[in-house]
Amino acid sequence: MSIKQLGKSLILTLPALFMVACSTTNDGAEDSQQNTETSTETTVETPVDTTPQETEADRLERINAETRAQRTVYFEFDDSTVSTSSQDLLKAHAWFLSKNPGISVVVEGHCDERGTPEYNLALGERRGKSVKDVLISYGVNASQVRVVSYGEEKPANPAHTESAWSKNRRAVLDYEG
Amino acid sequence: MIKRKLKCWLAVLLVAVTSTSRAEIEIVITDWLNDARPIAVVPFAWQGTSAQPPFDMSAIIAADLRRSGRFDPMAFNEMPQTPTHHSDVDLDMWKKKGIEAVVVGKVQETSVGQYTVSYALIDVFKSKQVLEGGELITNNDYLMLNRVGRTTRPSFRFYTHQVADNIYQALTGERGAFATRIAYVTVDRSVKKSFQLFIADSDGYDPKRLFSSEEAIMSPTWAPDGRSLAYVSFENGRSEIYHQKIYTGERNLIAAFPGINSAPVFSPDGNKLALTLSKDGNPEIYILDLQTRRYKRMTNSPYSIETEPEWSPDGQSLLFTSDRGGRPQLYRVPITGGRPERVTFSGEYNASGNFTPDGKSLILVNRTNGVYHIAKQDIASGDMQILTDTHLDESPSLAPNGSMVIYATIHRGRQVLAAVSADGRFKIKLPATRGEVRAPAWSPYLVQ
Repeated sequence: MSIKQLGKSLILTLPALFMVACSTTNDGAEDSQQNTETSTETTVETPVDTTPQETEADRLERINAETRAQRTVYFEFDDSTVSTSSQDLLKAHAWFLSKNPGISVVVEGHCDERGTPEYNLALGERRGKSVKDVLISYGVNASQVRVVSYGEEKPANPAHTESAWSKNRRAVLDYEG
Repeated sequence: MIKRKLKCWLAVLLVAVTSTSRAEIEIVITDWLNDARPIAVVPFAWQGTSAQPPFDMSAIIAADLRRSGRFDPMAFNEMPQTPTHHSDVDLDMWKKKGIEAVVVGKVQETSVGQYTVSYALIDVFKSKQVLEGGELITNNDYLMLNRVGRTTRPSFRFYTHQVADNIYQALTGERGAFATRIAYVTVDRSVKKSFQLFIADSDGYDPKRLFSSEEAIMSPTWAPDGRSLAYVSFENGRSEIYHQKIYTGERNLIAAFPGINSAPVFSPDGNKLALTLSKDGNPEIYILDLQTRRYKRMTNSPYSIETEPEWSPDGQSLLFTSDRGGRPQLYRVPITGGRPERVTFSGEYNASGNFTPDGKSLILVNRTNGVYHIAKQDIASGDMQILTDTHLDESPSLAPNGSMVIYATIHRGRQVLAAVSADGRFKIKLPATRGEVRAPAWSPYLVQ
């Protein structure tokens, strides 16, 4: 593999890295000249690095997509405050939505079964709106976010237990289309 | 009489499940009273072309009276005699058995599927003869009721509830509510259309499915004529209010505004619907005029939830739930508008308010120390009484005579219906044969 080929392959991947590659390959060529003058014969070879090169932008996209795979935030009993632990998750969705203004999201608000179904339908909407407000605070256009409340009608876990309830008090981000 | 509550954990099954019925709800009396009045409903005579009448009329009447909590009908095998006409009733014989009143009757098939029913209610503490001017004169004072009525094969069972209503009224002075129906939603996640809206007779018999859906059904409510229901359906992915006529199936979309469309309830005259909409930003109470289709906004509280409207019996004010004070409490506002007045102060959470028919009390869901029960609050004094001892009680609905409250609760890990007398002394569970049951709504009176 020639230096020229190495340079070409780097050009194909990234111009910024190519600049670095040019300066270092020249040094490398001198070193191999010197090596030929030693008593034992050795050869240093430099295969093309085919490891996919990740840019900073790609890295951010990847981390964001990984974070966005999580689409549920949970709430305390009888409360619609978005917890600080859910902020990073919503920030990730907000980053994505503000970069993609053509994409919209439905925020589904849910409650556990305690309390009256009709009050809980309203409480589910309040939870959905809390999430919407957080997304807007991170730069999302309000028109990209729609809130739908299911109250206590669509539990993640239909059991009548404390552990089911903690999974049912939630808002779920559902991307449309 | 010592009023002592007895726990009866042995279930007393009251629904007569015949081979043709598909009773999805059973009735189990869990708490009863030993001051229930001892009466007897003697098996009715039968004259007809078939061996048996369509239903055992006296058994249905006895079950209705027992389910009211007020009466303890005698078992058939303990009866000292089985007369079918009031003239054959030996008053002393029943008095010695401790029975207060006796029902006798006869069913005659006059032509195929047509029946004449005669029945009488006898007060055993009166006498059949009185001494007047030194002479023994026969009188009819002992007859509290002596009636003849007619019915047909399809109406036979519902007519029987009307007979029970008449007997109940003669014995208590209060109108009976057996000839009524219950609407409810079943949830069975093992079937595709998991959510189903039913109506059944007040004893759980003859359930009729009105609507089924893959998505949730909420808040069924009866029109005052008993011929249609409004409810919330999520069939289009969010809450919308529909109005469905029971006997024609005609179904109309009432409200599908952005946000929630919730908690419909008909005005006493049936011309208006109070409901909750969040179209203007957050949940507020509105009144929809069903003729003009105009909405009137009744509340304006941009930072709180307002929902669960309920008409006062005179139609002049609305009760509703609001968390404007931090936690849900009940408030009342005149329909002419004005500043809502808070009416509940006991406990951390009061919601789902219903007026008793006399307008003097509220039946509601109360949470105290994290425990949800059905409670009754006297409006004048503000005194609150917890009526239930079940778990996570919600959705109370009163019988039209105010005697009983049906509600949803969690029993052995399943949501079921239960009922409690308005004084909290008599309790019933109504488990479904499969799945869960919720959102009960007791019909208005269905016959005049």
